[in-house]
Amino acid sequence: MNTAGERAAAMPAERSGELLRIEGLHSGYGPVTVLWGVDLSVREGGITALIGSNGAGKSTLMRTVSGLVPARAGRIFWRGAELRDATPARVLGLGIAHVPEGRRLFGAMSVEENLLMGAYLRRNDAAGVARDLGRVYTIFPKLKERRRQAAGTMSGGEQQMCAIGRGLMSAPRLLMIDELSLGLSPLLVEQLVDALLALNREGLTILVVEQDVVAALEVSGTAYVMDTGRVTQHGESSALLADPAVRRAYLGAFESQGVSTPRSGTIVV
Amino acid sequence: MFLQILVNGVVLGCLYACIAAGFSLVWGVLNVINLMHGSFIVLGSYLAWGAYHSMGVSPWVTIAIAAPLFYLMGYLVQRGVLNRVMAAPVLVTLTLTFGMDLILNNAMILAFKADYRKLILDPPLGTVAWGSVVVPVDRLVATVFALVLTGALYVLLRRTRMGRAIIAVRLDRDAARLMGVDVPVTYAAAFGLGAAMAGCAGVLLALIFPISPLSSIPYLGKAFVVCVLGGLGSVPGAVLGGLVLGLVESFGAMAIGPEHAVTLSFALLIGFLVFRPQGLLGKRGFE
Ligand SMILES: Nc1ncnc2c1ncn2[C@@H]1O[C@H](COP(=O)(O)OP(=O)(O)OP(=O)(O)O)[C@@H](O)[C@H]1O
Ligand SMILES: [Mg+2]
Repeated sequence: MNTAGERAAAMPAERSGELLRIEGLHSGYGPVTVLWGVDLSVREGGITALIGSNGAGKSTLMRTVSGLVPARAGRIFWRGAELRDATPARVLGLGIAHVPEGRRLFGAMSVEENLLMGAYLRRNDAAGVARDLGRVYTIFPKLKERRRQAAGTMSGGEQQMCAIGRGLMSAPRLLMIDELSLGLSPLLVEQLVDALLALNREGLTILVVEQDVVAALEVSGTAYVMDTGRVTQHGESSALLADPAVRRAYLGAFESQGVSTPRSGTIVV
Repeated sequence: MFLQILVNGVVLGCLYACIAAGFSLVWGVLNVINLMHGSFIVLGSYLAWGAYHSMGVSPWVTIAIAAPLFYLMGYLVQRGVLNRVMAAPVLVTLTLTFGMDLILNNAMILAFKADYRKLILDPPLGTVAWGSVVVPVDRLVATVFALVLTGALYVLLRRTRMGRAIIAVRLDRDAARLMGVDVPVTYAAAFGLGAAMAGCAGVLLALIFPISPLSSIPYLGKAFVVCVLGGLGSVPGAVLGGLVLGLVESFGAMAIGPEHAVTLSFALLIGFLVFRPQGLLGKRGFE
């Protein structure tokens, strides 16, 4: 886990192009504006972490990129082309998969049906879907054991595996994961992180929101810190990890309160 | 005697299941109480009647025509009208389907008059008897068709891409959107399936009951009661609810007189709403 930052930093040069660029993004819900001009860039082949306090707008940012929440101002570019105002189906079709906060599995469906829902758009690619299903089962053997079980009856860790697997089933270039470790045991988190690092080595670009700031900064190459709808800091994760301001704001609170930061009751759509 | 009543109840129950399955699907997935459902059924009956008596098309063939025709009609109604108000409170869609039902029902009264018609097969199919139990063959065939249609709906929802999308939207709309599901199109497909089930049920019922625009309300009432009995939004629930209602009506009619059968079914409705509002199989998802 600790060497991940170095790994991401040592990406080959041809994979260092920019995949996603966000400029001056404003977004929100009804009368409420949540994002007030966010700038962010995701480099191809890397792991980018998004951290920040509760209610900062991290989930809203992901939802706006994936088209669930309409943008109000600003621009989103995917590999140089305008992505703003695209439908969720188009965003997914272009190669951005979103593993939402709280996993949001289809609880009454089986694990395999959930995974197949992830490949919903690949209607003419039965062979590719079958191959990727096998790949997901190789990465998460637990899911294969439980393929016929209703997804809602599994443990939190298995559900998160299923949610990540479902995201992979669209064969994305960029995987956005909201709250990777939420409610999971440290051992499970480590398993998930290892799986994601392996996927990243195979070329998958990852944008991850994570409450556990130390873990997030250790695993990622680049990181963004958000506060009340704005990016307050960004840079190489190792530099942020050493930054006294970041330590005071996030790690200080983190260390003094023990295992994890407290979560206010966030409303999730 | 007991066996005869039991068989009558099961026959009735299967038809009720078919009446209710589409209504339950639309209610469960779209959260729309489609008050046009009864009129769709009557329209299906008229289609069967017209096809048979003016063109000699047998009702079994008419089913194959009614299914795509009603699907298309339902699809267009949802896309063109209901999708515009899906975000509104349920009362708005209720009022809207109420209004559209008035139009549809009155159009049928204008077109067909309110008098009762009957689809009479020529030659008649006769009856079959097992010992003392006697069942008209047309009823029996209609029952089998009702079961096959309901089963087909179940398989379609569980096994096809479109069916999975419908269930996914019902379980978690935003998660379904993240999978690339087009929600308005899926709503339209679900409403179309509901209408197709109603139209096909109407074709079958034309063989058994007199046809009149006035029947739409009783049919709607049956669909409503079956949904409450079986639990909303599941095909097995509709089958169970249909069978329970069919048996209760048929044994009830025998015990306290056929004129009280409707009272009995609504007493059951009220009882369930008070004591078990989730129905017998009430749970999320189509299983
Ligand atoms: N559906 C919604 N409707 C209205 N306001 C919302 C909705 N979802 C989120 N918000 C508000 O938007 C703000 C940002 O929420 P968001 O979930 O994006 O934050 P977050 O950074 O992901 O927080 P957390 O770490 O708690 O997940 C919060 O004030 C929240 O209350
Ligand atoms: Mg969040």
